[in-house]
Amino acid sequence: MRGWVLTALALVACSKAGDGKATPRDAVISAWKADQLAPTSMAPAQVAFAKDCQGGAVSGVDVLVCNFASPADAKAAEDPALAWIGAATGAAQAHGAALIVAADRKKSDPSGRTINKLMKLAPN
Amino acid sequence: MPRSSCVLVALALALWTAPATASAGRQVRYIGIHPLPKAEGGGICYIEGPHVHVYDADKVQYRDHRGAHYFVGDPVAYGYDGQRYAYKGHHPIHVSVVVGDSEPDDEYCYLSGPHYHYFAPPEGPEFQLAGGAYFFVGEPPHAYVEARPALMKINAVYQPLVYERPVVTVDAPVGWIGARAEFAVPAVVVASPPPAPVVVAPTVVAPAAGIRIDAHVPMPSVHVDIGIGAPAVIVHERPVIIEERVRVKHDHGRHRGHR
Repeated sequence: MRGWVLTALALVACSKAGDGKATPRDAVISAWKADQLAPTSMAPAQVAFAKDCQGGAVSGVDVLVCNFASPADAKAAEDPALAWIGAATGAAQAHGAALIVAADRKKSDPSGRTINKLMKLAPN
Repeated sequence: MPRSSCVLVALALALWTAPATASAGRQVRYIGIHPLPKAEGGGICYIEGPHVHVYDADKVQYRDHRGAHYFVGDPVAYGYDGQRYAYKGHHPIHVSVVVGDSEPDDEYCYLSGPHYHYFAPPEGPEFQLAGGAYFFVGEPPHAYVEARPALMKINAVYQPLVYERPVVTVDAPVGWIGARAEFAVPAVVVASPPPAPVVVAPTVVAPAAGIRIDAHVPMPSVHVDIGIGAPAVIVHERPVIIEERVRVKHDHGRHRGHR
């Protein structure tokens, strides 16, 4: 009996570590890439409102994409995430269990078209 | 109205409607497409969902939607180049439908003439499409009537703006809010400095009831009442037929009637 339990636990651990299952962030970035909006190298980012975030830039707009356990958790982080935008035009929107935060700190997207496209392309 | 009074009114309106930079880079929430202030370069912000800027919105062209500013004016006046839908006269805006959230919020557009929005109204009996423009033929609620005196000022913002407005040349559908006597749009006096002898006298072809005249001749100065926001188009409305912006000649008190 003990052997079966250990085996099951090991299988679960293996599946979590190495199943290559796409995260909510992966789906968002894939959608962007499919529309020629590939972000520059996404790197892990430490923020107060989420534990699993990566940041980069798309067409001069700073972006942060975070994974959450549930869509509700991502939604709840929308308001706190506005702090990451700072004194700039930006948006923080939950799409499923992913939270997308965009900030136009360099004023490279004055019409907001890039930010709008990033948000609309993201799957829900 | 004396010229000094006009200047004061214009100044007050400008201060009231001008967006200002939010204090110390404070974020201000918006939702939906809206114009950008001239200080920010002008043009349009095309972000359709909730977002933030660091400048304030004016009080005439925006309504509050869940703590965010929602633009109820005509974006084409500011250079919007996307999909557009023509409307004529006042109408409700079902904001939650436009922005795609579940918070019911009906606001009202008080633009009196033909104008554009970037959304079509939801299908149903309250709007009728005629001649490519949407006409509100529903029953306006008390909230519309109550806010009307204050929010009609939006027309003074659009009246001087030069842009390609929709041209509406069809008969307005029966029940259109703009043809109902109780909701008739009062003309707004736009005073101009008296240059040459003026021009007055409307061309009104009117049946017996519901006559609304959009021009008159106060003497001796020159005042011309203009249906604000209306382009130089001919709009045939039931039961009154009005030709707007008709140039006529003033006869210096020897009024000989309409030509």
